[in-house]
Amino acid sequence: MIFYLLTFVILVLALATVLTRHIFRSAIYLMGVLALSAGYYLLLGAEFLAGVQILVYVGGIVVLIVFAVMLTQSQDLIHDHPSRLRKMLGFLTSATFFGVSAWALLNSHLNKNIEMPSDAQFSAQIMGKAFLSTEGNGYILPFELISILLLTVLISGIVLAKKEKV
Amino acid sequence: MLISWVLVSLLLFSLGIYGVLTRRSAVGLLISVELMLNAAALNLVVFNRFLFASRMDGQILTIFVIALAAAEVLIGMAILVMLFRRKKSVDVTQLSQLKH
Repeated sequence: MIFYLLTFVILVLALATVLTRHIFRSAIYLMGVLALSAGYYLLLGAEFLAGVQILVYVGGIVVLIVFAVMLTQSQDLIHDHPSRLRKMLGFLTSATFFGVSAWALLNSHLNKNIEMPSDAQFSAQIMGKAFLSTEGNGYILPFELISILLLTVLISGIVLAKKEKV
Repeated sequence: MLISWVLVSLLLFSLGIYGVLTRRSAVGLLISVELMLNAAALNLVVFNRFLFASRMDGQILTIFVIALAAAEVLIGMAILVMLFRRKKSVDVTQLSQLKH
């Protein structure tokens, strides 16, 4: 029941995100979608992930997007009116993608009554150990690579966005 | 049920594709890409929970997806700010210098 309610609100917000003409409102609707996705993660029993989603997506990424909206407020794009041809082609492409994928899914072996198993034991402790483990199931290499990547992105973001003549 | 979860994330992804194809503003493109990344991350957690409930690999991959999304938005914002300073516009239909 909660799932259907959440799904309804998320889909309405996602539709509003791609259909609204104001780019700033679009960012706010995106924030709604991302915050409610944390509700999905809670339903799936991934509490730690729900916290990360709120912290990083809603607290970080949406704020960055709002900054981007404000720093690039050009007059000709305050109202984003795509042409009718563009809208039709976009709708056709995404509807085709959805139709083909849904058809394939409904005909696959996933379309059985697979219910959610109730005995999952997710915890941040297991996750932390998996992140730093060097054994077979460990993720130490991608973990360290991500940290290097984030440092690179930090530096290149500053270099790209700084004024050219210092 | 597994199939309804997967269909929801598929629908969110399709909405993201529509957004990417119709927006003229580059910031709008960034927003639509975030929608698609979020749908893909949700999919990873759903399959983890339904099919491999004793492991956590899907959730760990989702953490990586979130970190990469943050990196992508930061670089995207820096590029857009630089672009706006040079051309006073972030209309992606006007950015066609590489074609000529």
